Amino acid sequence: MTAQKRALVTGGHAGLGLAFCRALTEAGYAVTALDRTAPKSAVPWTHRVCDLRDRAHVDAAVHYLTAGEPFDLVIFNAGVSATGRFEKIPLEVHQRLIAVNVEAPIVLCSELARRGALAKGGHVVFISSLSHMTGYPGAASYAAAKDAIAIYAKSIRRPFRRDLGVHVACAFPGPIRTAQAERHAPKGAKAQSRIAPEEMAQRILAALRWRRKVIVPGTRARIFALTGRLFPKLTARAMRRIVFDRLDREVW
Amino acid sequence: MARRRILVTGATDGIGLALVRRLASRHDVVATGRRDIAAAQRLLPEGVLYIKADQSRPVEAAKAVGRGLLEIGWRELDFAVLNAGTGWAGSPQDEAAKSVRETVDVNLAGTVALAHIMFSFLRPASGQLTLIGSVARSGSSQFATYAASKAGLYGLSRALGQEWRGKVRVQLLDPGPTMTDMHEKAGLKTGWTRQWFIRPDDMAAMIEAAIRAGTTPKTLSFLQYVSGASIFGRTIR
Repeated sequence: MTAQKRALVTGGHAGLGLAFCRALTEAGYAVTALDRTAPKSAVPWTHRVCDLRDRAHVDAAVHYLTAGEPFDLVIFNAGVSATGRFEKIPLEVHQRLIAVNVEAPIVLCSELARRGALAKGGHVVFISSLSHMTGYPGAASYAAAKDAIAIYAKSIRRPFRRDLGVHVACAFPGPIRTAQAERHAPKGAKAQSRIAPEEMAQRILAALRWRRKVIVPGTRARIFALTGRLFPKLTARAMRRIVFDRLDREVW
Repeated sequence: MARRRILVTGATDGIGLALVRRLASRHDVVATGRRDIAAAQRLLPEGVLYIKADQSRPVEAAKAVGRGLLEIGWRELDFAVLNAGTGWAGSPQDEAAKSVRETVDVNLAGTVALAHIMFSFLRPASGQLTLIGSVARSGSSQFATYAASKAGLYGLSRALGQEWRGKVRVQLLDPGPTMTDMHEKAGLKTGWTRQWFIRPDDMAAMIEAAIRAGTTPKTLSFLQYVSGASIFGRTIR
């Protein structure tokens, strides 16, 4: 009998993170979730309250996470958004966004690796965004953060595989049907066209079994990604019309 | 030929310093950096104003620059060149939290904060925001966090370019390896390859020409150098 595999999911309280926690628990993983919000009712996994905006919280999480057995799967999923005109969103909001979406996952990833908390043969997955392929006027700091995390994943892929035997992947999900997406969507955006978080989690986990390094879940997303790659300027302009021109308020 | 109002960040070393030295006689230049005023003034050409702003504290630095500009009576800027940057070299699994935070703060959070404050200065002059990226922004196993921070600047420039269309032009320039102290500071021995790096003066000339042309994103490396960009490039007028 083999020991139970261990998984870590950041931002496990709601949305895609919650879907990952459920799917992995069902698949037999011992799951640890990090989130600033504590669950309202008992969950069948370990939930640790950690505010990723706060450096002291992140440092404490590093100690906590590296105290036990190494992780076979780590999903850097936690992320916040800020939509609206860049200059109208308070400076502090942009800073918090970069702390949660860029600084925290890179610090956690490099510290887990440095302290031997990533199991050989395991996986590390970063959740970037389809915006990496298309640009995202109306969420400039979010777009910046998601580009940064995508390139961090790409940069560490080879050394992690070679030196640690860890597979690094990056997922680029399009719109997901979550409360967070609902809050940030432009006026008139259709909720039906978004993928449900449970399905998104399954797709990403399935792609991991194939050891994919770039995961673009869904046909629509793939078409957008391809268009963005081939015609970056046109796509950014289209995104301006689809998203930015329809935003009537700032949301964070 | 008009004297333009230009802000250059990270201007006490490397490319930033070369750019300020190049522009100072023809334009009105404000330089920023983390060095003390006395040390900065020894390096900077006469007539260049200096604001101390350490981007490892992004919000404080950006606010200090905004305040500093108002104090000298500048309410408009024609060009803001956000050049300040730092990095750490080595295997990504050896990088400690401290250096990750330093790189993300200076390169990404600091630039985002300054872009935010600069909008109100650039808008009335229909100015231009130039972010200094890097050729590493497509990924680098030796500079993982650095590459990530510079990729973030691309995402920022791409989104802001659309958001500010018709108001402020936004540009990203990606310099290739340049003969500055950055590699040594980052802990990387460049060895014999260094002789192939582009000199800071030449890079500054290429940057000025690229700012004038306005193309984005624009790589400034060997290919552009051998095609004469540092000699034939146009100047900001």
